[in-house]
Parts: sequence; structure tokens; C-alpha cells
Amino acid sequence: MAKKVMLTLAVVFLVLTVVSFIGGSVGAMIRGGEPLSIFAVPPPHPQLPAEHPFPGLPITNTMIASWLSMLVIFGLFFIGTRRMKLVPRGLQNFVEFIYETVANFVEDAAGKEWGRRFLPLCFTIFLFVLANAWINLIPGFETVKMNGEPLLRNANTDINVPLMLAIVAFISIEYWGFKAKGTPYLETFFNFKPLGAGLKALFTGKIKAGFSGVFNGIIFAFVGMLETLSHLIRMVSFTFRLFGNMTAGMILVMIMLFLVPLVAPAAFYGLEAFFGFVQAMIFGGLTLGFACAAVMAGE
Amino acid sequence: METWTDVARLIGAGLAIGLGALGPGIGIGVLGMGAMSALGRNPEARGAIMTNMILAIAFAEAVAIYALIVAILLIFVA
Repeated sequence: MAKKVMLTLAVVFLVLTVVSFIGGSVGAMIRGGEPLSIFAVPPPHPQLPAEHPFPGLPITNTMIASWLSMLVIFGLFFIGTRRMKLVPRGLQNFVEFIYETVANFVEDAAGKEWGRRFLPLCFTIFLFVLANAWINLIPGFETVKMNGEPLLRNANTDINVPLMLAIVAFISIEYWGFKAKGTPYLETFFNFKPLGAGLKALFTGKIKAGFSGVFNGIIFAFVGMLETLSHLIRMVSFTFRLFGNMTAGMILVMIMLFLVPLVAPAAFYGLEAFFGFVQAMIFGGLTLGFACAAVMAGE
Repeated sequence: METWTDVARLIGAGLAIGLGALGPGIGIGVLGMGAMSALGRNPEARGAIMTNMILAIAFAEAVAIYALIVAILLIFVA
């Protein structure tokens, strides 16, 4: 019985896919003529900069969406922890489950003492990126119009949001590095001590030791330069990883809707839900990983 | 119809994503191979292998995404 139902459903989905493909815009191009009116999806026009739904006000639609996702996170955790019981039930159980999973993950990576300091930032980044990605998947989210522009749009697809998160992560990581190491942390970036020692040996007459010392010193200085560069590039790569993944997902769903209006976009919709989670995990996890590396640098 | 700059732009966008997807594709294949052989040797560690594989695949895929951004910029912005 269940097998029959599954088979019928599969056939129905297949027929819908094929019919919508042939009836849609691409099918119309192949068979010539106009697309059927129900399958006529306008060709996608991805717009990279965020739109301004209120003319004259410097408020973009991605800003409104990010406020909304902040509100959702805040509301969820506020309601979940309002009447706390010793034995959690319902929403409190769910909230505690999320918190404990992330807290254990952070403590496993960074240890107890640093884990407590890293947790707020990593958890916030994770939740913010995740909420932004998933709130966008609510059907009808981007169709609300105001003055001809969409009122809401996935905040991760505006390059300013990932850039802001990346800058916050970068500054926090360097701050923690200084806090853990003090001024010797700077030696990660500007390490001229071996070069100075080598030069000193060279000028005091130890030619052989001096030359190898200078050679080593140049290598150390170069490594420091590379480290500086990699810390700066990290910020760019943080930004573009999130922005690119989310924008590419948005465009992919748009194009699939244009090519095959029925059934097929659902698969990519699911893929988007999965990638939203993976990207949130990567952004939070990488912040954690780099923070651990900064705290433990040079040991 | 189209000027030579448009032609160059479109060819550039196609090459950018086409060549840019080549490396990550190979990388994801290698990663999948490594994960599969690890799974064959140690089936109990399925969860850990899966998580790490997905993380590593996301890193490899990020490179393709950079190429995609270049292609998108070439088509829609430049």
C-alpha cells in the first residue's frame, strides 16, 4: 500500500516536472511559441547591492531583514528562558539543547577557560548567520513589496553584513591574542629578533655563524610578513565565503524557478537550508579556530 | 549587435567559472575518496568523518564560490 502511494507520488512529481519544463520559458524556446501563462516566470534579475524600500531613508531591505532575524533570536531565547525550571521542558529544553551543544563544541576546541570567553562571539555569529539564512526560506519572504522594491531580503546576500561580521571576528581574534600573550604577540607579525642577532654576530666577527643567522633572520621576518598578510586575507575570505555562498544560492533558486517552475526548485530549496546551516557553522567554527590559534600562537 | 567588450566580458565570465570550478571539483572528489576509504576502514567513526568531510568540502567549495562571484560581477556589474 505504502509502496503504491510512493510510486504514484513519484509519477505525479515527474509528470509535473516534465510538464512545467516543457510549458516553461525554456520549453517555449525549444518548441517555439509562448510559454504557458501559469509557468511563465520572468527571467531572473539578480541585484547585488541591497535595495532601498523607503526612498530618501538610508535603510536597506537587508537591514530590515537582519533586524527581523535578531528579533527572532532574541524572542526565542527570551521566551525560552523566561520561566526556567530545573527540569527543562518544551522550548526551554530546545534552547538549552542548542546552547549546550555549541558550548560543548567550543569547550572541546578551546578548553574551559578560553572557551567561556570565545563562546559569546562564536555562538552569536552562528545564530545570526543561521537566522538570516533560514528566515529567508520562509515562503513569500522576498515577495513583500514596498514602493516597488522588496521589503525584505536575506541579509547575508548584502556584502556589508558578512564584512561587518568578519571585521568583528578579526578584531576580537587579535584582541584575544594580545590578551593571552601580551606584547610578545606582536612577534607573530614582526619578528626581527633573529635578524638582529645574526647581524650582531656578523659584525662582531663570527662570519660563519653570522651569515647563517642573517639568513635565518630574513626567513623569520618573511614568515612574520606572511602571517600579517594571512590575517588580513582571512577577513576577505570570511566575507566572500558567506556572501558568495548565499548570493549563489539565491541566484541558483531563481534560475531553477525560471528553468523548471515546479518540483525541481524544491530540491535546491532544501540544499539552501543545508548550506545556510553549514555556512553558519563554518563562520562560527572558523572564528573559534582562529581565536584558538591566536591564543596558542608560538607555543 | 554586441560590442567586442561585451563579447570579451561574457567569454571571461564563462572561463572564470568554468576554470574556477575545475580545481574545487577535483578537491571535492579527493575529499570524498578520503572520507569513503576512512569509512571503509573505520565504520564506527561515521559521525566524525561525515562532519569533517562536510566542513572540508565547504572549504573547497568556497574557492568555486570566489570564481562564481567573479563571473557574476563580470556579467551583471562590469
